[in-house]
Amino acid sequence: MKLSTYNFLTSKAIKGVKVGYPLKLTIAKKDVVETEFNPTFIERLLPKLDWNTVYLAAQTVDLADDIPQEQPAAVADNEELLQRLHHLLLEIDVLEGQLECPETGRVFPITDGIPNMLLNEDEV
Amino acid sequence: MSSNYQSKKLDKKQKRCVAIIQNECKIEPVADGISKYVAILNAGLSTGLTEELVLETVEKFGKITRLLMLPNKSYCFMECSSTEDAQNIVQNMNGISKIGQKEAVVYLSYFDSLPQAEDSNWLKPLPKGLVILNDFVTEEEEKLLLDVIKMDNVEVDAALKHRRVKHFGYEFIYGKNNVDPHKPLTNKIPQKCDALWPRLESISKSCNYDFDWYVPDQLTVNSYEPGQGIPPHVDTHSAFLDPILSLSLESDVVLEFRKGLEKRSVLLPRRSLLVMSGEARYDWTHGITPRVLDVVMTANGNLSTRRRSKRTSLTFRRLRRAPCNCNFPLLCDTKLEALKRTESTIESEKAALLEEKNVHNVYDHIAEHFSETRHSPWPQVADFLKSFPQSSILLDVGCGNGKYLNCNPNLLNIGCDRSSGLLKVCSSLNYQTFRCDCIHVPVRSNSVDGCISIAVIHHLATKERRLMAIKELARILRPSGQGLIYVWAKDQNANNKKSSYLRQNKSVNKQKATEEQQRQQTQQQLEEKAKEAPVSLPVHTNRTEFLQQDVLVPWKVKNASAQQSEAEKSTFLRYYHVFEENELESLIGEVNDIKLVKSYYDQGNHCVIFEKLSKSL
Repeated sequence: MKLSTYNFLTSKAIKGVKVGYPLKLTIAKKDVVETEFNPTFIERLLPKLDWNTVYLAAQTVDLADDIPQEQPAAVADNEELLQRLHHLLLEIDVLEGQLECPETGRVFPITDGIPNMLLNEDEV
Repeated sequence: MSSNYQSKKLDKKQKRCVAIIQNECKIEPVADGISKYVAILNAGLSTGLTEELVLETVEKFGKITRLLMLPNKSYCFMECSSTEDAQNIVQNMNGISKIGQKEAVVYLSYFDSLPQAEDSNWLKPLPKGLVILNDFVTEEEEKLLLDVIKMDNVEVDAALKHRRVKHFGYEFIYGKNNVDPHKPLTNKIPQKCDALWPRLESISKSCNYDFDWYVPDQLTVNSYEPGQGIPPHVDTHSAFLDPILSLSLESDVVLEFRKGLEKRSVLLPRRSLLVMSGEARYDWTHGITPRVLDVVMTANGNLSTRRRSKRTSLTFRRLRRAPCNCNFPLLCDTKLEALKRTESTIESEKAALLEEKNVHNVYDHIAEHFSETRHSPWPQVADFLKSFPQSSILLDVGCGNGKYLNCNPNLLNIGCDRSSGLLKVCSSLNYQTFRCDCIHVPVRSNSVDGCISIAVIHHLATKERRLMAIKELARILRPSGQGLIYVWAKDQNANNKKSSYLRQNKSVNKQKATEEQQRQQTQQQLEEKAKEAPVSLPVHTNRTEFLQQDVLVPWKVKNASAQQSEAEKSTFLRYYHVFEENELESLIGEVNDIKLVKSYYDQGNHCVIFEKLSKSL
């Protein structure tokens, strides 16, 4: 699971959960897969992401120093930041770990890079 | 034109005919010598040649022991008594006798043998339960009956291909192929017909015919001009009792019977009564081919042609006033209606179980093989994906092996699926995925620019669940975001073009073979129905049209290796709800915050593109 994917996941479908976001990410094993850096792609992607969760992801992988806590107004000219975001969002791959519902504590395991978000019929 | 040129032209034409016969009949011409087998190259049953005319013409020149006329062929064969007879016939007829189409001159050639005649429909036994009582009425009675029926002042009916029709007792309503038992006509069956029933009773007793019968209360009179016919049909089971009686007046006609692959041609002589009971009434369709000439079998077992004249048929029936109780389900409206009713009532508590057993478990078992068979993206889905600007978020709900996750690499493509087996395939290709089901997508609302649901929603077993899946897609889309849905269509033949699903039916005798398979399967289903769990559903025959909306579609795992267990080699049944036309559009209409952008039919699927409304935040 890339951290860009993590940005979209929620546990709101669980019965009684009001927000279910962001999920608490715990990483047991991760990999870094180098991909081609495209600054425009990252720049255009940012408005579609939840910045708090971008920052939370950075904290989880100890890269919080690289990323501002508040979403910067303009990033187009800040290629260094774009490069860091590229690395954070598209190159880090969580292989083993878990996601946890902030309200109920329900755990969703990540195995072989795939989060299992499947809920039982009695949870929804 | 020089005679030399003409003879060359003639020679060429003759050679062409000979080549056709060689190819179609697998017999060889006798080039230099003479044999007693002679073919008339350019006249036969299809050109309207009759046995009488051939015999009359040939016998002036020599004796023949056999005349062989093949259905739908413009040539025919003779076996002559001796080679001398053959030689004499050929010399006197070749290029001389005007017995071809529109009195054209015919050409003859020698062959080494007669072709193997196919098993003729005429030589097979009649459908079970079919009886023809010849000379059932006299010529005088025929005249009387025609007088009381008075067909001459009946208007021709354009909807019935200009055949004249008149009803007595009850009107037969063609739109619904039934009668209304509460609306009897003032026009009862003419009393002149009363004399027929004691006659039928005494014949059926004296001849020991195996049919029960009732005095009819409904009569439909059809008047056919030469060249007119009636499409193959079965008299609606629930409308009428067994048997159906049909009296032919004014002309002979050939009635064609069909049951799956089986075909029978039955000559109904003028003034005969046809009795269709049991299997012949319930399980065979009958119809009259619209044509002027009928191919008939003559007394000596040969085929010949017969010109039709105007014919009036009196079909006598008795209303059933109850559901049909026959043992022939395939053409039975009562049985098919019952089958339809069961499919609309998949209970919601069983729906999840059915999906679990007949969708999720199956995909996990067949994941690898399934993935091998799904590699090329459908072009119109790819076009949709390419319509998004760079960095758009695209979620493929039910991504399978991820074949759409790399169509447009300029997007942030994420896939999800219920099947962990298929997700592993995605993972091996470095695609981003997570596991979930399509009615609880764990993605925040208003967050994705595009979503696709390709061949997913037809796996959900109730309308409520199908609607929930669409609502989920609507929820996760941002305002102005667009979604694309593909579901399997019940109609695999839209615009009279077979879908590739049907085209892949490779059996040699495609249409007919599958028809027969379907027959057998329907029969089996009805027998097995009660036994299946969790919901009893019909099993679909692959590469054929869908008969019901809720079906189990077999998946046969191929290339099973020796190491695989028996279970892995077997056939799996996947549950499908195939969509009727407009069904998907109407589901879209039930979701508040989206609007339909486009709907179309593609590759045997019903498809919609919809857009999330901006004000819906």
